[in-house]
Amino acid sequence: MVRAAGLIKKFGAFTAVDGISFEVRRGETFGMLGPNGAGKTSTLRMMSGLSPVTAGELEIDGIDATANPRSVRDVIGVVSQHDGLDPDISVRDNLTVYGFYFGLDRDTARRRADEVLDFFALRARGDDSVDDLSGGMRRRLSIARAFVSRPRLVILDEPTTGLDPASRNRVWEQLAVLKNSGVTVVMSTHYMEEAAILCDRLVIMDEGRVLGAGTPDQLIQDLAGAEAAQVRPEEGRREDVQRQLKDGGHDVSDIGAVFVVHGSDGQRADLSTISGARVTYRAANLEDVFLTLTGRGLRDE
Amino acid sequence: MNESLAVRRDARRFDFRLRGVVGVWLRHYTAFKGGWMIEMTGILIEPVFILAAVAFGIGELVGDVETRGDGVKYAVFVAPGIVVGNAMWHALFECSWGAFRRLQTNRIYDSILAAPVSMRELALGEISWGATRALMTTAAVLAFASVTGLVESPWAVGILGIGILTGFMFGGFGLIAAAIAPSTHMLTLVFTMVGTPLFFFSGTFFPISTLPRWIEPIAWALPLTHPVRIARALATGDLYLSLLWSLLYLVVAGLLFYPIATHLLRRRLLI
Ligand SMILES: Nc1ncnc2c1ncn2[C@@H]1O[C@H](COP(=O)(O)OP(=O)(O)OP(=O)(O)O)[C@@H](O)[C@H]1O
Ligand SMILES: [Mg+2]
Repeated sequence: MVRAAGLIKKFGAFTAVDGISFEVRRGETFGMLGPNGAGKTSTLRMMSGLSPVTAGELEIDGIDATANPRSVRDVIGVVSQHDGLDPDISVRDNLTVYGFYFGLDRDTARRRADEVLDFFALRARGDDSVDDLSGGMRRRLSIARAFVSRPRLVILDEPTTGLDPASRNRVWEQLAVLKNSGVTVVMSTHYMEEAAILCDRLVIMDEGRVLGAGTPDQLIQDLAGAEAAQVRPEEGRREDVQRQLKDGGHDVSDIGAVFVVHGSDGQRADLSTISGARVTYRAANLEDVFLTLTGRGLRDE
Repeated sequence: MNESLAVRRDARRFDFRLRGVVGVWLRHYTAFKGGWMIEMTGILIEPVFILAAVAFGIGELVGDVETRGDGVKYAVFVAPGIVVGNAMWHALFECSWGAFRRLQTNRIYDSILAAPVSMRELALGEISWGATRALMTTAAVLAFASVTGLVESPWAVGILGIGILTGFMFGGFGLIAAAIAPSTHMLTLVFTMVGTPLFFFSGTFFPISTLPRWIEPIAWALPLTHPVRIARALATGDLYLSLLWSLLYLVVAGLLFYPIATHLLRRRLLI
């Protein structure tokens, strides 16, 4: 469905996307996980035909997206990081008018708007103003809007950033509906739970590069092992503990209050000899993958 | 690989879809319909206040105005100026202030451009909506002017066309301003430094010949001077050949502003 090869985006002298390659298969939900400034939005905007490709290849649904961004926009739906909803018209009209942009005639656009409102359980709010919706509701509406044109691919940029946990759950439900409808989804996020729950496959990005790719389980297994250890130094023993870990040749990430230690070859690290610290083990997750790849947390801001 | 080569060649064709323009226009129409009662105050009531006050109030204090030989009553002189000046305001406001809100504040352009609408089509949709509003207000105020006897010739119907062209030209100008304005503050300058002087010094309220000699050529260069001149001729039925130059000015300026606005919007948004 999507094939990127050596994709580059430069803003003046600054390289935001530095030669990334990935492939998205038809029908899957594909994630881009990375911290602020990783180049997720830049990549998704190129895919959406909103930002010219500086160099590299980008093919979407058989279309050369570098040369023909408009044909790409015919077959995709886009949900941007800010909702971009239209406050001058009602919720329903936001959908109808979006149909107009795709060239639907009035009757078709209205019918389609009602279908989409039903599909995403937004019917009751159809006549409201967009400004009266909660943040979660707005986000769901902007996802619904991307669906008006019956896209083959939906591109979502951080669909749940800034939402409270309850709204996030509703958006996840909605994305699950999307996924079950068979549409291909490409989404960015900096929440590892989100990537783990929703994505069939994902790439981990940082500073414009792809650091790892695979299914969430596979990435965790390969790069973080089954379990990660959290080592919490006792009062005043921080440096001592750090030295012990280093001397032991462990794979250590310093995330402030604790050290996170990942095992190798899928085994948990043996920390029985460490003194002056409390060691707890927990199941490894994508955050650990990011830690082992970069030595930093996902949400270092 | 052959397939994507074919697509690549396809892209070189001039790619313009009218439905993109229509989609944008319909968006504006939808928003307008939602608040048309309030919109009518700007389209009809406010300009009618101005026209009534100037034509029937000030007009009573002022004698006839010399236009190409014959004198006309001041009220008759000023009416077409106010009609067209008002058309300018509407297009200018819609395509600068309104467009800036959509572009920057609400980020609606991003959503429109994420649909298969090109910048060229988006800009034309904006400008044609500006022209549509100019037409609406031209029609409303012109109707008032004819009912109150300020229009002397059936040629005045042509003022509707002048209203559209004026809207197209100032819509393009406004969109250029919106595309380069860093903030609404800067955009205010369009009204204070462009709109207001044009409204008063384009032969709208008094003949250009009244101005000091050295300002006269400047007044002739101003864009509002030309539609006002044509509208006045149509309203009085006193048509003459050199009006064609004014018409040419109007059309050429409109055709120039539109691609410039498109270009500047691309530079701002498609990065
Ligand atoms: N228009 C621009 N001009 C200059 N630099 C830009 C522009 N847009 C993005 N950048 C830079 O490119 C880099 C990547 O930005 P991008 O928005 O793609 O990151 P992101 O992964 O989406 O981050 P976030 O999680 O904050 O949304 C950042 O360093 C950003 O400052
Ligand atoms: Mg982003």
